Amino acid sequence: MSRSVWKGPFVDAYVLKKAEKSRESGRNEVIKIWSRRSTILPQFVGLTFGVYNGKKHIPVNVSEEMIGQKFGEYSPTRTYYGHAADKKAKRK
Amino acid sequence: MTDLICIGAVAGAYGTRGEVRLKSFCAEPSDIAAYGPLLTEDGARSFDLSLGVQVKNGFAARLSGIRTRAEAEALRGLRLHVPRDRLPEPEEDEFYHVDLIGLTVVDTGGSPIGTVSAVVEQGGGELLEIALPGRAEAALVPFTRAMVPTVDLASGRIVADPPDGLLPDTDDG
Repeated sequence: MSRSVWKGPFVDAYVLKKAEKSRESGRNEVIKIWSRRSTILPQFVGLTFGVYNGKKHIPVNVSEEMIGQKFGEYSPTRTYYGHAADKKAKRK
Repeated sequence: MTDLICIGAVAGAYGTRGEVRLKSFCAEPSDIAAYGPLLTEDGARSFDLSLGVQVKNGFAARLSGIRTRAEAEALRGLRLHVPRDRLPEPEEDEFYHVDLIGLTVVDTGGSPIGTVSAVVEQGGGELLEIALPGRAEAALVPFTRAMVPTVDLASGRIVADPPDGLLPDTDDG
């Protein structure tokens, strides 16, 4: 069952505070958060969050297409390296 | 740059007519057939490959010169390679993982940070895993133009401009 629209998106209050503080300071820094359940809001675009995966903070550079998803979706809790073979990485 | 790239492995024999079970490590598994004759790690043997049906964890495949089940069974565990130059040229701002792994990472001032140990795929893009000298923990840097402004494959060097707090040295908790 989906969340009621009248409630708005859920974001932990401390995430909002940290993001606002970082934006005001204008410093290029990683905002460390533990809240994987928080929704990514439009005002987070351009910021870099370090989202905890249970072991370490995974850097997540927020872009427009991430809006509405949860932070946890971008911080995998399991790592599988596999073989490099012909896999390509695209620089965004 | 690596000369030979491992793109598959023989998992065992398939059937009684000398076919093998082949694991493909390619991004698109069936592409393994497109890279032409596959070589052993030392380059001593070469096999032409024709893919058969899809089986669990790979393909049934026929390798040239392998005619019996015993011969196929003897190849179990064999890793198959192709020369790096046989991979198609990547598009602009695209890099093969094998080309990135092992590059030296320096900061914008030219001071060495570490070496790329892996490329990790994450929901929002790729991350470079950078092995830091004297540290067990590796650093992760998003593979973006802002944070990795220069990738110089010819000189084996990457210039990274990570934000504060991303590298353990600048970590303030």
